[in-house]
Formats: sequence, C-alpha cells, structure tokens
Amino acid sequence: MEYVNPEGIREDGRRPLEMRHLHAEIGTVARADGSAVFEMGNTKVIAAVYGPREVQNRSQQLNDQALVRCEYTMPNFSTGDRMRKPKGDRRSTEISLVIRQTMEACILTHLMPRSQIDIFVQVLSADGGTRSACINAATLALADAGIPMRDLVTSCSAGYLNSTPLLDLSYFEDSAGGPDVTVGILPKLDKVTLLQMDARLPIDIFENVVQLATEGCKAVANYIHEVLLENTKQLEYRRGL
Amino acid sequence: MVGLSAGEKHFIQGGIAQDLRADGRKRLNYRPIYVETGVIPQADGSAKVKMGATEVIASVKLDLARPNPSQPGKGKVSLFVSCSATAGPMFEGRGSEELSAELSVALQRCLLGGKSGAGAAFDPSCLSIVDGKLCWDAYIDGLVVSADGNLLDALGAAIKAALTNTRVPVANVPAGASLDEDPDVDLSSQETTRIDTSGVPVIVTLTKVGRHYIVDATSEEESQMSSAVSVSINKERRICGLTKRGGAGLDPSIILDMISVASHVSEQLMNKLDSEIAAAEADEQDT
Repeated sequence: MEYVNPEGIREDGRRPLEMRHLHAEIGTVARADGSAVFEMGNTKVIAAVYGPREVQNRSQQLNDQALVRCEYTMPNFSTGDRMRKPKGDRRSTEISLVIRQTMEACILTHLMPRSQIDIFVQVLSADGGTRSACINAATLALADAGIPMRDLVTSCSAGYLNSTPLLDLSYFEDSAGGPDVTVGILPKLDKVTLLQMDARLPIDIFENVVQLATEGCKAVANYIHEVLLENTKQLEYRRGL
Repeated sequence: MVGLSAGEKHFIQGGIAQDLRADGRKRLNYRPIYVETGVIPQADGSAKVKMGATEVIASVKLDLARPNPSQPGKGKVSLFVSCSATAGPMFEGRGSEELSAELSVALQRCLLGGKSGAGAAFDPSCLSIVDGKLCWDAYIDGLVVSADGNLLDALGAAIKAALTNTRVPVANVPAGASLDEDPDVDLSSQETTRIDTSGVPVIVTLTKVGRHYIVDATSEEESQMSSAVSVSINKERRICGLTKRGGAGLDPSIILDMISVASHVSEQLMNKLDSEIAAAEADEQDT
C-alpha cells in the first residue's frame, strides 16, 4: 500500500514533515478549575482539571505531595466504528496511566501535600495521535487551573512508512502496521518525559524518527505558548488592566 | 461540588419568589442558547449545545443492518446518554451510571415512541433501504461535557440539532443481488438525504422551588427544588413525554398547571432552537 506517493504527498495531502492543523481553546468547562479543548487535525480531545482539592480516599493520601489521578475515556461515537465499552477497557486504562505519569513528572507536587489533583480527558473524535492530543490538552488545562508546573509537557507522534519518516500520523497511517513513536518532552528544560513505540525499527532510523517527533513537540510547544499568552491578554483586558 | 450555606439557600428561594433569580433572569427565561452542528467529523450527524455553563454533545451514527421482522419498512433507532468525567469528579469511573441511565430513559420515552413505532420523533421509514432486508440502524449518543443544571432540555435540543444535521447516505443495492448473505451495497455516490425533524419535540423542564416554577434551573437552583416535571412538546403543542423527578408529592392541579406553563414556554424555545439550528447549519456549510 502506498502511504507516500512518488511526489512525496501523503494520503491527506500533507508532506512527510508536516503536522496537522492545531487548534486549542481554554476554559471551556466553566465548572472545572481548569479545562481545555485541543485539536490535531480531526482528533479532538477535551481535558478538565479539578484540584488541588481535599483527598477523597483517605487511604490514598500522601503526606508530602499531591496525589495526581487521571481518567481517559473515549465515547461510543468517537471512532469510525461504534465502540461497545467506553470505560474501563485495557487501552483506556493504559493511556490513563501514561498520561498520569507524564503529568505527575512535571507538576510540582511537593507544593501541595495531602491534596488531590484530578485530570479527566475525554476524546470527542479520534483520528490518530489521541495520546499526544490528550497530553497537550492536559497541559493546557493544568495551566488554566493555575497548578504550578516545572514546564509545559507537549507530545507528538511520528512513524516510518514507505522508507520515509512521517510526522503526526493519522489513523489511516497508524493502522498501516508500521512503527508508531510517541514522544513527550519538557520543551524549555529540553528533557524527554514520555517515549513509546510499537512495531520494529532499525536503531539508526529510530534516532531520526525520535528526533522528528521531538521537533513536532517543540512546534506544539510554540503553539501552546501563543494560546496561553493570548488567554492571559484576554484576562488582563477583562480586568481592565 | 461545594454545598450552599443557609444564607445562599434563602437568597435563591427568595429571589425565585420575587421573580428575580440569582443571575438576573425571570422565572420563565432561558439562559442564552448556543448551537453548533457538525462538531464530530466521524459521525453522520452531530451537534453541540450550550445553555450557560451546561454543555452537551449529541451524535448520530448510521450502520447497515437487517430491520426488525415486525417492522420491515423501518430502521431501528437506539438512544444512550453518558456523562463525561470532565463535568465533575462525581462522574468518574462508574459514578455516572445512575444519572446516565435516568437521562437515557427519559429521552427514550420522549423521542423513540412505542413498540409499534408510533409516536416516534421522526419517521424511521426514512432509514429503510430495502424493505424487509436492509436498513440503517441509527445510534443516537448523548454526552454531557459540562453540567450546570437542566441537562434534559440541553440534551433534547442537542439531539434535535444532531438529527437535523444528519446526512443519510444513499445506498444503491444492485438489482437482483441476493440479500440473504451480506449484499454488496454501493455507497460510492456522495448523495445524501436528510431526516425530517419537524416533528421532533423539545423538552421543557419546570423546577418547583417553594411555590413557584422556574425554567432552565442551574445546578444550585436544582439543589433547592422540591420536585421537577419535564414535559416534551412538539410543534403542534402536543405532549410527547412526561417525567416527574423529586420526592415531594404534587397536587394533580399543580401538575396540570405546570404542563400548561411548559406548553406556553415550549413555543418560544422551539422557535429559538429552530433559528439557532438553521444558523448553525448555514455556518457549517459556509466553512
């Protein structure tokens, strides 16, 4: 199957090193402490943050840091075929864990002992790269909630099909069975917090693909920066400053 | 959710008694309603409705299937609502099951009609492809993204908008094809038909606080309610469904009065929704 045609154009008209269109909105869920919607092409994800608040389950309380919890759900209608079980299936549990660990690494949890921070991520529309979109949305939601963090966390995926490294795989490219590398970084500190891959890849090509995904993460970080700056200007304007 | 103090409760109840609610509305005023259609690209029809801080999304997906033998000329419609954890930590894990079930049943009662298929919001025979052999199954899914009261009205509006937004693909079955096994259905023509949603009712929920009824309660106002009646009314001012919630008993004359008030309010809501949906559809076609 041809994923990159001889002129170097992918199935959805992009070039191999081109990301999908990004769009983000902050503060969409009024009742949450922080919330954001993040879109990467047709993948659309909403994240809401509740916290820091009192720990609900006393047995889980940590005396020296905040407890970070995360739930990832996909509704029935988000993928091409309607899913039967929206919550609690193994993929959702795994992704919840991945998002929690990634965000926990960047939140300054020692500043909020004996408290709980809940991150809820809901996929509205899935077209590949949901993991990355969820992490980006969670970062924005945490920033909106004013929770202290070491740095933003941004994430992007990359793959390797038809001997070409491809940035930001869509569902069609992802389901080709080729390698899918998801990278999450702290852009300012220039550190990697998440690295996942499936399928096989020779090591020298692996380095290229990871480098490509990291560039993608930096591009997302720039966009998130702009969105946050714009949001802060709006807040200043509304306060009459 | 933070509880209310005695002073706040008094403020809410007193305000409603004087026809001046906490956000400045009168008892029978809705919050500003905002409708956006086509929000889920993979669905055949979808819509997002915001009433104040309440935000819900509805999607309609169509799958090829065999029709019910008792109704060979109609497609099957199923409806299910779920509450996202983004609406609040109380909806995490299995916490949303009770509320989701309650909302699903109430909406099914208003929109799906009886076993014979009579009384449904729209005519399911528009989903039939080949009588008795092939039809579209419509799966209507509602998702509560943000909850600030009046979920039923918002979901009813979102489903109405999503059905209006739905494009049913025109399926060409080659003549003479055997339909007992999986037939080769030709969906390549990009033509679509629409569903006639002029008969879809709106749902108006009247919440009784003290001695007065309010429309479009916020969740703080709902916490002060003694009971609530949700009435589903269509364009011809006919009642399509009725649900009463809340433990307090109601005098029958009060229920009749609430129904007539709901009927009066429904006309305003129906017009507002129709114009919002038309505007949203026009917007979507422009982009």
